[in-house]
Amino acid sequence: MPGEEASEEKDKSIQHTAALSFGFICLIIGIPLWWKTTEVYRVNLPYSDIADLSNTKFQFTIDIDVVNLEKSWTDKDLTDLSKLLKANLADDRKVGAIFPKYRVAVRQAAEKQSSDVTSLKTLAALDDYFHGEESSVNKYLIVLMPVNNAVVKQTTIGNYRAVYLPAGKRDLKTVSAEVTEILHSVLVREDALLKSFQNFLGAREPKDKASMRSLSYHQGYDILFTLVNPQPDILDIDWSIKVAVEAYLSPMVKQLSDYINLDIKSQMLFFTGLRRKPHKDKKNSGFYYEETDLPHTINPLEANLGSHASNNPMLNFIVYVPSRDQHPLHIVLKNGEKVKTNSFLSPQWGGIVVQNLPSPPPNSSLPVRVTVDMKTVMEVFLTQLRLLMDFNIQVKKDLQVREVGNDVIREWELDNWLRKKCLENLATSISTLQSLTALLEGISNIVIQDDIGQQVENAVTGIKEAHRHLSSGQIARAFTQSRKALASSEKAFFDPSLLELLYFPEDQKFAIYIPLFLPIGLPILGSLFKAIKWIKTKRKQKAKTE
Amino acid sequence: TSPEEFFKSGHTNNWAVLVDTSRFWFNYRHVANVLSIYRSCKRLGIPDSRIILMVADDMACNPRNPRPATVFNNANNQINVYGDDVEVDYRGYEVTVENFIRVLTGRLPPSTPRSKRLLSDEHSNVLVYMTGHGGDGFLKFQDAEEISNVELADAFEQMWQKRRYHEVFFMIDTCQAESMFQKFYSPNILAVASSKVGEDSLSHHVDPSIGVYVIDRYTYYALEFLETVTPGSKKTMGQFLEVCPKYQCISTVAKRTDLFRRDVNKVLLTDFFGSVRNVELLPDSIHLQNATLHTHSEDSSDVKSDKPLSYAQQFPMPV
Repeated sequence: MPGEEASEEKDKSIQHTAALSFGFICLIIGIPLWWKTTEVYRVNLPYSDIADLSNTKFQFTIDIDVVNLEKSWTDKDLTDLSKLLKANLADDRKVGAIFPKYRVAVRQAAEKQSSDVTSLKTLAALDDYFHGEESSVNKYLIVLMPVNNAVVKQTTIGNYRAVYLPAGKRDLKTVSAEVTEILHSVLVREDALLKSFQNFLGAREPKDKASMRSLSYHQGYDILFTLVNPQPDILDIDWSIKVAVEAYLSPMVKQLSDYINLDIKSQMLFFTGLRRKPHKDKKNSGFYYEETDLPHTINPLEANLGSHASNNPMLNFIVYVPSRDQHPLHIVLKNGEKVKTNSFLSPQWGGIVVQNLPSPPPNSSLPVRVTVDMKTVMEVFLTQLRLLMDFNIQVKKDLQVREVGNDVIREWELDNWLRKKCLENLATSISTLQSLTALLEGISNIVIQDDIGQQVENAVTGIKEAHRHLSSGQIARAFTQSRKALASSEKAFFDPSLLELLYFPEDQKFAIYIPLFLPIGLPILGSLFKAIKWIKTKRKQKAKTE
Repeated sequence: TSPEEFFKSGHTNNWAVLVDTSRFWFNYRHVANVLSIYRSCKRLGIPDSRIILMVADDMACNPRNPRPATVFNNANNQINVYGDDVEVDYRGYEVTVENFIRVLTGRLPPSTPRSKRLLSDEHSNVLVYMTGHGGDGFLKFQDAEEISNVELADAFEQMWQKRRYHEVFFMIDTCQAESMFQKFYSPNILAVASSKVGEDSLSHHVDPSIGVYVIDRYTYYALEFLETVTPGSKKTMGQFLEVCPKYQCISTVAKRTDLFRRDVNKVLLTDFFGSVRNVELLPDSIHLQNATLHTHSEDSSDVKSDKPLSYAQQFPMPV
């Protein structure tokens, strides 16, 4: 009947309109909504900047001042010397990822300076004179000494930033070559810097002794001084460690306080010792350790040293007083000769010095009070500290270096350290940022919050600032910026929220979504197709009737 | 050996991460496994501060333990591997996949104490030992969750990227253990597993007085080998990888050496299990001048305080 047909048509049209609207909502609103809400939140990171950083060539600038005291050299000689030096120093080396730029200035000394220098009688006085005059960070003074000067007989490097060269009878070429050699091998050491920069960037070359021995840079180090006394009932040992640290170590700690935080503690251990049995010396009545025994002495002791609370690396310096049945104890070389300092160090760990204190005389009331000579002990410890913290620089035999004395660190050694650590920090930051980007590209499930994005931005800014300061020659500021960049990049990489725990293979994702979407999806799609077909037939009908 | 050789090995310190992934009384042998390896590491020189021990720690004080406060790895009850100087870093419900991956990758919350952190660097050799119940491609953690071999491989890769190890020795004693190291792709990893994919690792013997199996086969024979090693020993990793042939272990021991750069027959066992240090003799020292030492009166030991010491009032009483 036509009424029924019309109402059937109406029903059908309502059904199909409903199906179409469901399909519309699902496809146009639902799917994008689902996509957006299941998206992993990721802050925008400066990926292009990070990629650029790995190709940046870092330039570091060094200032050289040459002062001539040799009267026989004229201004023309000095101009020639300046030209020779600049030619020698400019780019005769391959331009690697880091390269030096030298700013050279050559001049005659003032009359007053020449007369002052002739009146100075010791190297220390000479050094102090030039230190007061002209020394500043990253600027090195090459003083060409007159030929008859009594103090400087061969090329000497002072404790501040001056090098004294007896110019005298030499010609310009040798002087220029010598200055270049000193710069390349002692004061600046581009090869070592390049090697360590590439290592920290990820090259993983086989290491040399110096780099394996020293600790890598951290915000701070913990230094622990320990006195090991196996028989406190016999010897009551007095070591005035607090006084000794204040007298000998505090100047160095203060000097480094802007760059690294050294936290110093001390303790005494009783009734324990180096458990390895020493060999008995047949000739004299004594005992000795050979070099091969020493590696096994550290471990039993380390269990007793105690652990500490901070996350900084720890350097242990131990004074060991042998027990009376192992007294006197020496460390001997392979040829039987005693080691002068009676001490040894372990790379990245610390050092041990054996102090042979006199035994108590017979019939004395035990324990007998004895005193440790803190000066000799601190001499050994400070030498070991210089090696372990990477301040020590091996100088060739034909160069003389002034004794460092109570300053512990020479200023040009500090400059070297700042430059090296700054470049190492930059390399570490860059490689951390690169691994972070590789990680984020490789694993798509990791969320990156805003604060991590902020840390990454800080790290990139820090690296660029450090580069800027390096090129203008301000290594202290460059170091501080590099330290900030390192801290930010490490914080971003090691943030606890970056843990990608659940490995979701694609088929497991399907297994989760199919029971949710399939029961609803199939009917909707089916009715959608039917609705579209119905619209098409209706259109055809309309076209027919018209 | 001369100390110069030590510098060639490239590592300056040793770490160990020892994980027992199961709990409950009937998994007694897994606890005995990991504690025996812990004892060997300590005996050969790795200090507690550089061992991370993850154990459910529910054996020694379990009400079913007829010998409380002890864990034995042998029916003869010769060695109490639990002892009184076992330092467990992650115990009970802290042994989870998340904590394990966090320890390896270093992504721990800032409040984590030092003893729970793996503070290794690029000069560290790390020994990783895992034991428990495993399957093809996964390892079960405490009956509640699993770690898959892909996650483990990714964790090691993140360690490599961040230069957190020099070399890793990965030792695993579970069923189908080989599957756990099949997906590794980072360099410098040497791996050994107690059974191949499709095989089960079997336990060694039962202690009738306790009522459970006390040790697994592979670990039993590995310990037999380790007992003969002293800190100065010259035994090589190549010899260790040959431990427990099929007639002893019944399962086939599988190993993976392709990612490892050195020749295993030239690598000392103590490179991973012990902690032999490099040393350097100091021929000469700097010379200091006697600085003026201020002797404070408080440094001398015969200063007496004026007030006698007393206890504070615990319960402040009304006057």
